[in-house]
Amino acid sequence: MGLLPWKKTKAKTVEDLLLTNYNQYFRLAYSYVHNDDDAGDIVQNAAYKAIKNCSQLKETQYAATWLYRIVINEIFTFYGQKKTEPLEDAEELPQEDSYEDIDLKLALNSLPLEDKMIVELKYFEDMKLEEIAAILDLNINTVKSRLYRSLKKLRLMLEEDGINTDSALCHKVHKNT
Amino acid sequence: MSIREEKWNEIKQEYHTHNMNEEQVDHMKKNIQKAKKDQRHIIRTIAAAAAAAAIIITILPNTSKSAAYAMSRIPILSKWVEVVTFRDYQYDDERHTADINVPEIKTDPKTDSPAGETIQKTAEEINAEIDSISKQLIEEFEENAKDQEGYQDMIVTSEVIATTEKYFTLKLICYQGAGSGAEWDYFYTINLETGERLALKDLFQKNSDYMTPINESITAQMKSQMASDENIVYWIDSDIPEWNFKTISDETGFYLNEKEELVICFNEGDVAPMYMGCVEFVIPKEALASIWAE
Repeated sequence: MGLLPWKKTKAKTVEDLLLTNYNQYFRLAYSYVHNDDDAGDIVQNAAYKAIKNCSQLKETQYAATWLYRIVINEIFTFYGQKKTEPLEDAEELPQEDSYEDIDLKLALNSLPLEDKMIVELKYFEDMKLEEIAAILDLNINTVKSRLYRSLKKLRLMLEEDGINTDSALCHKVHKNT
Repeated sequence: MSIREEKWNEIKQEYHTHNMNEEQVDHMKKNIQKAKKDQRHIIRTIAAAAAAAAIIITILPNTSKSAAYAMSRIPILSKWVEVVTFRDYQYDDERHTADINVPEIKTDPKTDSPAGETIQKTAEEINAEIDSISKQLIEEFEENAKDQEGYQDMIVTSEVIATTEKYFTLKLICYQGAGSGAEWDYFYTINLETGERLALKDLFQKNSDYMTPINESITAQMKSQMASDENIVYWIDSDIPEWNFKTISDETGFYLNEKEELVICFNEGDVAPMYMGCVEFVIPKEALASIWAE
């Protein structure tokens, strides 16, 4: 019946994921809270909640996604408490003629919370768009268009998969000259 | 590479420099252990509730008129078929508890019914399957028990659902708690007239599409239950399409209730969140009347 393996290992699977990937969760949290203590607390809380509630996890094959969701929820909860929301819109950034002066990091941090996360998971953690969509509970097309919009804001032309690269919409970075 | 791309790579590198320190990792490990203990507490409570429910079931024949009537209508059962405990495996240390009662179906070979021989074969086949399931579980339990960090509970028990003259059903109930707790069941039904083991398809006319009306009935019941009670949740039209209930299969558990209505049984987590437990759906006779085998 194939029932026994996943019944048995649910808590163990979550625990193993935590012990393997804690730095991934920590990095993501850090990019929002910018200090070790708060990022650590976020991972601690997520670890506790994940193990305690792992009976809610349906199948171990979804454990990684499920765990990420818990971590992200913790990050957003923390953010809500701190009231340090970034600027909602980065449209007001200087236009391209002065792009060298723009602090790219500032631009990244000015993206809406979820949009920033999409960019980080895609380019820093090399995740697939489908995985990101599952983690953030979004439609894959929504993820694509948000990523697209973010790249436009950051004025980056990065390697993409699954995105219809349209240079008219994406400010192209000049490779030479 | 443009300045902007270089800058981007710097940000990426910087992103990866942040790691948890040793103290934080230790703290996280402690948190995991604490969560497991808290989880175990929940399992204990569930297990106690399950035990209470079992007592209610046992006294049912004596107190409920209809149940007593149902039992009296199947005297044949006591002649031919009975269920005894075949293997009793008990284990208890601080962290690991097992209460495994493996049932076995016994038949009377001296019976003069033409189905007698067949029923004996069927019983042997079912006994072998139950034996293999329980052996696998005990093995798994013993493997887990070597882990001095973990916790686990394992319960295997059985229940006879013999509500009609025609059918005998043994329900094998398995419960495992290891961090999370889950119950899953196996249903074995014997047709007492033929002695054959009953498969879902045997209830229907040959080559009929019985899954579609059953699925439709289940889907409709899920929707109406969810609409009438917000605490009831099934995986249907959920955010995660791959979890949604689509169809039963030949492995889906079933039995026939005292009205000879088909009851479809799902294990915990199959079609609903785990907290919903094992769920059952009675399929109304009229939904299946046109393809029913008799």
